[in-house]
Amino acid sequence: METLKYFLPQVWFGVLGLFLFLYVMLDGFDLGVGILSLTSDDDDRRGLLMTSLSNIWDANETWLVLMGGGLFGAFPRAYGTILSALYIPIFIMVFGFIFRGVAFEFREQSTRKFFWNFAFGAGSFAAALGQGFALGAVLFGIKVDEKGYFIGGTWDWLTWQSVLVALTLIQAYVLIGSTYLIWKTEGELQTTHYQSAKLSAWTTLVGAIFITVSTPIFYESARTKLFEPPLLYVFAVIPFLGIFLIWRLLKSLDRKQERAPFIWTILLFVLTFLGLALVVFPYIIPTQITIYEASADPSSLVIMIIFVGTLIPVMLFYNLYSYVVFRGKVAGNSYE
Amino acid sequence: MDFLSDTVTLSRIQFALTAIFHVIFPILTTGMGIYLVVIEGLWLKTRNPDYYLHARFWAKFYVLNFGVGVATGIPLEFQFGTNWAPFSDAVGNFFGSVLGFEASWAFMLEAAFLGIMLFGWERVNPAIHYLSTILVAVGANLSVVFILTANSWMVTPAGGDLVDGKFMVTDYFQALFNPSAATSITHMFFATFETSLFVIGGISAWYILNDLHAAFFAKTLKLVLAITLIVAPLQIYMGHVSAELVYRYQPAKLAAMEAQWETSPAGRPADWTLLALPNKKTEKNDWEIRVPGALGYILEFKKNLSEPVLGLKEWKPENRPQALGLIYYSFRIMIGIGFFLAAMTLLTAVQWLRGKLSDENIAKQRWLMRAWMFSAPLGYIAVETGWIVRCTGRQPWTLYNKIRTVDSASLVPASNVLTSLICFAAVYALLFVSYLYFGSRIVRKGPNFDLPIPGVNVNQPAIDTTPGEFVPDERPVEAQQ
Repeated sequence: METLKYFLPQVWFGVLGLFLFLYVMLDGFDLGVGILSLTSDDDDRRGLLMTSLSNIWDANETWLVLMGGGLFGAFPRAYGTILSALYIPIFIMVFGFIFRGVAFEFREQSTRKFFWNFAFGAGSFAAALGQGFALGAVLFGIKVDEKGYFIGGTWDWLTWQSVLVALTLIQAYVLIGSTYLIWKTEGELQTTHYQSAKLSAWTTLVGAIFITVSTPIFYESARTKLFEPPLLYVFAVIPFLGIFLIWRLLKSLDRKQERAPFIWTILLFVLTFLGLALVVFPYIIPTQITIYEASADPSSLVIMIIFVGTLIPVMLFYNLYSYVVFRGKVAGNSYE
Repeated sequence: MDFLSDTVTLSRIQFALTAIFHVIFPILTTGMGIYLVVIEGLWLKTRNPDYYLHARFWAKFYVLNFGVGVATGIPLEFQFGTNWAPFSDAVGNFFGSVLGFEASWAFMLEAAFLGIMLFGWERVNPAIHYLSTILVAVGANLSVVFILTANSWMVTPAGGDLVDGKFMVTDYFQALFNPSAATSITHMFFATFETSLFVIGGISAWYILNDLHAAFFAKTLKLVLAITLIVAPLQIYMGHVSAELVYRYQPAKLAAMEAQWETSPAGRPADWTLLALPNKKTEKNDWEIRVPGALGYILEFKKNLSEPVLGLKEWKPENRPQALGLIYYSFRIMIGIGFFLAAMTLLTAVQWLRGKLSDENIAKQRWLMRAWMFSAPLGYIAVETGWIVRCTGRQPWTLYNKIRTVDSASLVPASNVLTSLICFAAVYALLFVSYLYFGSRIVRKGPNFDLPIPGVNVNQPAIDTTPGEFVPDERPVEAQQ
């Protein structure tokens, strides 16, 4: 029973990490495409950008809903504490999602496409911004009492670190969005996104370096953890791997490869994610509440593994199937 | 205006507003999902292109509702954390798991196959497409199953108890199959289906009335009629079964629904009020229209009550539902609509039997068509009022008789909640107007009759059917074999 008490929360930490990773990767390029659409001055082109997502955006967003439900069920206290601490960033994201979601269907029927195109772009930006603030705030600490309830202020989430994380996350979304568009489009549109991919690869790199360097300097807890074996070796390797991946990514962009940039970007996301997971573990609210303290009753975790966990391969299969059905370059999809 | 500085009240208003607005959209998608399965099945069976065009036409309403439904559903999930953190923490063991089940079993299925259903006509073969349409409908309806399971558990908690303020589950299946789950799921299933059918029927009636593609839409109207003829009476029966559960498990709610202040003892007939004005201060009804001895017939189909019907005075004022007038009248509006829709279905069926719905005659049934158009929004009102009875009647509890609403809300500053509430109100007003506008635009545009029918390739170069010139075989007879 004792081992279960440790093992089950660890399993759920892994499962939720997987959901969050799938979300960040899949909706990441959705949101990135949305943000990129703001820079386009041509409504037809924005239409094509939205079309490239129309059959997948909702499934991609569902990974976040799934991650939310999973967090609620597996770590109820963390769910309540994190979300009430991040009241404002969460609602920035939620309102972003609302505008972005309805834009897909309203645009289809509208004669003034401009407004809904803008709603799509601005909504994507707001959602990414809210997520960035939320991520930054969670990583850099939420004030809680001894029972784990939030006791900080309304604006605690707004720090220079969370701003930095938010800006970097937006860059990363733009990067994965650009590489997705390189894969899915052709011609002039593709050329544009070779450029945007290159630019955002550099800005993401700058942000990532800032975050990586500033974390151990300003955070004692992170410092003691990072500079002790065995994690020391891991964290010595990660920056080099990251630089290698960015170098390969830039090279693939120079060579005008179509799929490689997207794949290198995904690998970069995987690496970043693993790094973050290692820093955070075993906390669910870093340095305050561990996954063991916040977790639901072991029996709940078992039931959820049976009902949710076993379904993961099925969900992955049919999501993949839908990508296979809609493989190839984007043409004009329409309900008509 | 004290409530403007009260986080709990503001959080309740916000949850009510966002839930009342959100539910409009999944009502149509869950119900219409089944309808699309029927229509596409008819097309595959008969290969009548009209059915294909119907499937494509109604799918436009589906996707319009789906988009707004997803966008407005996400705030609900997050509000459990932002505004109801203590509740989430206390019930996470069960309630959180169910939301996890819903996302993985229902949402993902619907979202993933919707793409194929909408855009995949030319990309997958008809069998796979039909399977996608079926899975979309299954996904949408599974959401009803899980949400109603979770909500029923709040109404009739089972399968465990509170230990140190946390709900510890002892038997998951008892919690999942809590006493009101099966009935509530069925009641809501029929509610979404019936509402969607009347929306489809109402829109079809508009076309018939305006003499636009009347024969085409007479087909859907009759199909809808054939289904509502079964669904509408069944829904009234499910309503009755639901009320009996309230009678048994939530007597305080029943007392509010019927404005009963005094307990009516068992073994005797009891009066029922058709209309009344309950007054909390004097603890009686200011006025009422009484129907003597009717309560026993309504609850149990017999003269004498077998169990007492408890009056509101049995509970201390702080343990009673507060919004008595709202509960009482919402309940009556829901019932009134249920009977009205069933009656109209029957009336239309009679006209059908008399041959008045034939392609030549149907456009002459002007009043009947107007009644159908009028009925299109009624189902929504019934569902909303029903949910108001269900959730305000559960007060002052979030988890019935276990966790109070006042103890469930996050201690975020009231100004935060007020700000997000105002934003929701403004954004949802904009969405609602846009939704109605774009919905009516789809109606005015009408179906696209020029769509190519899959499997019937019109652009195929015609096969050369001119007879070839006869070339006699001049080889020797032996070589011709």
